[in-house]
Amino acid sequence: MLLETTDLRIGYGDGEGAMKLAVDGVSLSLDTGQTLGIAGESGCGKSTLARALMAYTRPGSRITGGQVRIDGQDILALPEAGRRAIRGRRIAMVPQNPLSSLTFHMTIGAQIDEILRRHEGLSKAAARARSIELLAATAMPDPAAVHRRYPHELSGGQRQRVVIAAALACRPDILVLDEPTTALDKTTELKVLKLVSDLRDRFGTALIYISHDLNVIARVCERICVMRDGKVVETGATRATFAAPRDAYTRMLLRAVPRTTDPSPVRPGPTPGDTQPVLRVENLNYRYAAGGLALPFLPRRKGVLAVRDLSFDIHAGRTLGLVGESGSGKSTVAAVISGLLPPGGGIVRFCGTPLRAAASRRSADLRRRIQMVFQDPLSSLNPRLSVGRILMRPLRIFFGMNPIEARAEAGRLLERFEMPVAMLDRFPRQLSGGQQQRVALARAFAARPDLIICDEVTSALDVSVQDHVLDLLLSMQAETGTACLFISHDLGVIKRVADHVIVLQNGEVRDAGPTDAVFAAPRHPYTRLLLEAARSVIDTPLSPTPAPEPAPHTDAAPGTNRGDRHA
Amino acid sequence: MLSAILRRIGLSFLILILVSLFVFAATEILPGDALDVSLTDDDLAVLTPEQLAEMRAALGLDRPAAVRYIDWLSGALVGDFGTTILTGAPVGDIIWGPLRNSILLAVLTTLVAVPVAMVIGIIAAWWRDRAPDAIVSTGAVVGYSLPEFVSGNALILLFAIWLPIFPATITLYTQGPMLDMLVVAVLPVATIIIGSIAYLSRLLRLGLIESLASDYVERARLAGVPERRIVFVHAVPASLVPTLNAAALYVAGLLSGIVVVETVFAWPGLGLELINSIRKREVTVVQAAVFLGAVGVIIMNLLADLSIIALDPRVRRGAGRG
Repeated sequence: MLLETTDLRIGYGDGEGAMKLAVDGVSLSLDTGQTLGIAGESGCGKSTLARALMAYTRPGSRITGGQVRIDGQDILALPEAGRRAIRGRRIAMVPQNPLSSLTFHMTIGAQIDEILRRHEGLSKAAARARSIELLAATAMPDPAAVHRRYPHELSGGQRQRVVIAAALACRPDILVLDEPTTALDKTTELKVLKLVSDLRDRFGTALIYISHDLNVIARVCERICVMRDGKVVETGATRATFAAPRDAYTRMLLRAVPRTTDPSPVRPGPTPGDTQPVLRVENLNYRYAAGGLALPFLPRRKGVLAVRDLSFDIHAGRTLGLVGESGSGKSTVAAVISGLLPPGGGIVRFCGTPLRAAASRRSADLRRRIQMVFQDPLSSLNPRLSVGRILMRPLRIFFGMNPIEARAEAGRLLERFEMPVAMLDRFPRQLSGGQQQRVALARAFAARPDLIICDEVTSALDVSVQDHVLDLLLSMQAETGTACLFISHDLGVIKRVADHVIVLQNGEVRDAGPTDAVFAAPRHPYTRLLLEAARSVIDTPLSPTPAPEPAPHTDAAPGTNRGDRHA
Repeated sequence: MLSAILRRIGLSFLILILVSLFVFAATEILPGDALDVSLTDDDLAVLTPEQLAEMRAALGLDRPAAVRYIDWLSGALVGDFGTTILTGAPVGDIIWGPLRNSILLAVLTTLVAVPVAMVIGIIAAWWRDRAPDAIVSTGAVVGYSLPEFVSGNALILLFAIWLPIFPATITLYTQGPMLDMLVVAVLPVATIIIGSIAYLSRLLRLGLIESLASDYVERARLAGVPERRIVFVHAVPASLVPTLNAAALYVAGLLSGIVVVETVFAWPGLGLELINSIRKREVTVVQAAVFLGAVGVIIMNLLADLSIIALDPRVRRGAGRG
């Protein structure tokens, strides 16, 4: 057996001297050229396990029991020098975030060369030649030039190619990929997955692919093992496991994955016809101001055009989904409507009245009627205020309630969002990510808004938690008749919540219409590409061959230097 | 890259002009002019208004402030700070010796403090939260908290009085030979670097701990790169960037410390000259000394910025175009 773990246990200190187990008795095996997916939600111990396979633990944790054998040799028994000789040579890692995983002050070449020189003792020139070959193998355009570049000069997708090239430098037998595409856009992810599969075929490398995304694992891995709380709950062939999951947790995970084939939300009430829309946007244009000092004698640089000629309506009780990848301008639209950015060109009408000012200059009532919820609840909830104070604030400010009334109402809201009233006295940090986001939603609904803007509100959540939050949002919307602008990069999520959808790319509308119609018959190739990238292969797990080569415009844009992270 | 450097130099120059304006205005706002300030009550009792007006005209003080400013600035930029009010000697001649001595002090301090602080910072980060870190970190807090007049006098007591190795005060002429200056510089330099080393090593330790916990260091470790190479090739240059930023700000504060040290040791430098000139009400010398001090701070900041440009390709090769 190439790689085998038996009863592996990894503990970490909880601050009081006691050890808690992050990985609790994991046994798995991998043979030459095989692919194994490790799936699980945040905190299940999958990243800790991945590092332990390389006899590495992060500070604060340590391996407390079990073995990791490569070709029968227990690498945990090796001294540090012996472990280091294995890392990068026999087993290599592609870490999660390509944007932070390369040393910013060293050239791409220097970072690949050092691995070759260390493990294979190559000369400077030989290492350089091999690095350029490796970069070429990852389908990097102009590898010799990239060798001289610095990380910040490449896009997120390109940087992930560099990290993969560095991992493959010494032709390791095993490649461990820890959420390698989670920080990337979906279309970029598709290309990276294809690259990984190609390289695996070419070099015969065995893969361990760690991800929270069952869809990605279905695309790449022959076998899967599902982890929960440090334990493996189910393991087997990917296709068979997805077709007939044995464990209840696996079934729950599979059910929770939003699919682009899910039914659209059912909206009661008459179809909006001649009623006035809550929000009407006509020919919205927005250009960011150019950065840097305005120096005399130099022509003023033009800012980036973030949104071009965008028009749409949202009626009461309806949801418009705004879809796009990083840099598409979708968050700019939200910021302009909510007033976080000053108004741009075009007209934004809210219940018939044009919105002409930034939020700070809008009336209190207008601010009440438009509420916004952000991606990261921890940074949008004041850490010094209890949940009760957070929820009471809009009630007291907008409705003039006295503290007793406000607290009672805050309690009711919390229960409506399926949290116990006792949580009123907790602080945001004491809540789980899903609970935090429910508090953020409850705060928005506390203002009884006419329009709620949700900007990637579930992107940071685990799928099972996301499912619950979306259910709550849908039922709350049905109850209050609030209109919703829902921004997401996830087409499955959009399908679940939105009646209408707009697909944005580089600030321009690529497709628009009822969600069912657009998803069933996309007109623009970009929409087709996004749908292909989001297509659930869980229900019909094909052989792990990735999708066709996507169109070439999303990956190679180093000029913007914003990476492909969903922000 | 060139444009980034030129922009920084241009900005420094702009700051320099603003500082000169401020220095000039500060002496201008005071009631009376340079002559009134320089003359004693006895002088005023003797001199007639006609004589005073004559002296004013001779010194050019009867011209409008703007003209005098331009005149002063154009001189200052080429090192000509005019003449003293009382003796008529060129300010440049008076200020040159002290300036050289202060620069000597600053250069010696930098040459000793920076490498020592780096070694200490690396040691503390390497053995983070263990004995060497605890010792070094405690020492740093003590060192940083000690005011220069305390540490300076303590060093004099130890190494000049109890163990008479070094002279307690400097009795040299302002333009003594360099070698003699080096010997007497030991105690003043030691006084200044106690605080500097403490502060700089703390900064570096913090930056290094942060970069050693970064994703890129973990990636390099998982690629089997030896730990020594990770520290010195990956982490140290990365941690120098924030350290230099903070160190440049620290230099401004250091200037006041140098004034104290020069007073404690009677070091014939710019700080001592400044204090003496204030006492003697030599307005033109005060202007020159303050201006040169500001130039020093601006140069140190410029050097820090240029080092950052050299270290950080994100600054050097901005906005993603290679």
